[in-house]
Amino acid sequence: MSKALRIITQVLFLYLFALLGNFLVKLLHLPISGSILGLFIVLGLLHFKVLKLSTVELGASFLTSEMLLFFIPSAVAIIQYKSEILQHGSQFLIVILLSTVTVMAVTGLVAQFAIRRLANKKGEIGQ
Amino acid sequence: MIAFICILLTIAVYAVSKLVYRKMRFALLSPLLIAPCILSLMLVGVHIDYSDYDKGGRWLSNLLQPAVVGFAVPLYKFRKVMKKYAKIIAVSMSTGVFVAIIISGVFSHIVHLNDNYLLSLLPRSITTPIAMAVSVDIGGMPTMTAIFVIVTGITGLILGPAIIRSMHIQEKLAKGLLLGMGAHGAGTSKALEFGSEEGAAASLAMVLAAIITLVFAPILTPLILL
Repeated sequence: MSKALRIITQVLFLYLFALLGNFLVKLLHLPISGSILGLFIVLGLLHFKVLKLSTVELGASFLTSEMLLFFIPSAVAIIQYKSEILQHGSQFLIVILLSTVTVMAVTGLVAQFAIRRLANKKGEIGQ
Repeated sequence: MIAFICILLTIAVYAVSKLVYRKMRFALLSPLLIAPCILSLMLVGVHIDYSDYDKGGRWLSNLLQPAVVGFAVPLYKFRKVMKKYAKIIAVSMSTGVFVAIIISGVFSHIVHLNDNYLLSLLPRSITTPIAMAVSVDIGGMPTMTAIFVIVTGITGLILGPAIIRSMHIQEKLAKGLLLGMGAHGAGTSKALEFGSEEGAAASLAMVLAAIITLVFAPILTPLILL
C-alpha cells in the first residue's frame, strides 16, 4: 500500500475512535469530550496490545503535525464578531496575552523546580 | 461546490504560509496567525459569508477530533516517563489550571470587562469543546469562549518559545507541560516541533488541563465574581 493511502486509512480509523468516543459520551452523559475519550480508548488498546502501534502511527503523526490547519477555520470565525472586537478587542487581547504568559511561566517553573528537586533527592540517595 | 473551493483555498493558504514561516522562522509569521488573516481578507473581499465558508471549513475543523485521538501515540511511546513523573505532572497541572482561571478573572476585572465576558474568558486555555462546555456551565457565552480559545492558542504558539528561553526552562517535560497547559492543541503542535518527548508531555498536559478545569472552574467562579 502506498504511504498516502496508509495515512488516509489510518486517519479514518482514528476518526472512528473519535466517533465512538462521541457516542459513548452522549450515551453515558460524560462531562469530557468524545475525542479525549477516544484518545484514552486508543491508549488502552495500545497498552493491552490489542492495537499495534504501526496501525495508527502514520495517521496520528500526520494529523498531529498538520494540526494547525484544522484550527484555521475556527480562527477565521473571528470575523463574525466584528462589533465585539471593535468594542472590546484590546481588553480581550490584554487579558489573553498576560494570562497566557503567566500561566505558561508558572507551569514551566513549577514543573522544572519539581523535576530538579526529584533528581537531587535521587542523587543524594545514590551517594 | 463553494464548500469544496473553500477547503482547497484554506489548504493552499496554509501550505504557502507554512512554507514562508519555515523560510523566515519569525514567530509572528505563524501559519495560525497569517493564514486566517489572509483568508478573512479574501472572504471580505469577494463577499463570501463566514457561514458559507464554514460549509467547507467544518470538514477541516472536524479533523481536530481524530488529531486529538492521535495524541495517544506520543503518550503511549513515553508512558514510562509520564508514569515516573506522575506526581510532578499532577502538581504542575493543578497549579497551571488554578492560575489560568484566577488570573484570567483578575485581569478581566482590571480592564473592566463585564461578567459575561469575564466568565467566557475563564476556560480559555483548554481545548475548544470542553472550554465551551465549561463556559455554559459557569454562565459564560460559549461562542465567545471558542474565540478566546483560538486567540489563546495563537498567543501561546507565538510566545511559548520566548517564555521557555527567557525563563531558562531546560527540562523537556517542563517545556511540554507549559505549552500544553498554556495553549492546548496549538501549544502541543509547537511542542512536537521541539521533540517527541516534549510533544508527549504537552499532549498529556492538554488532556489533564481540560479535565482539571472541568472540576476547578465551577468551584473557583464564585470566588472570582466576589
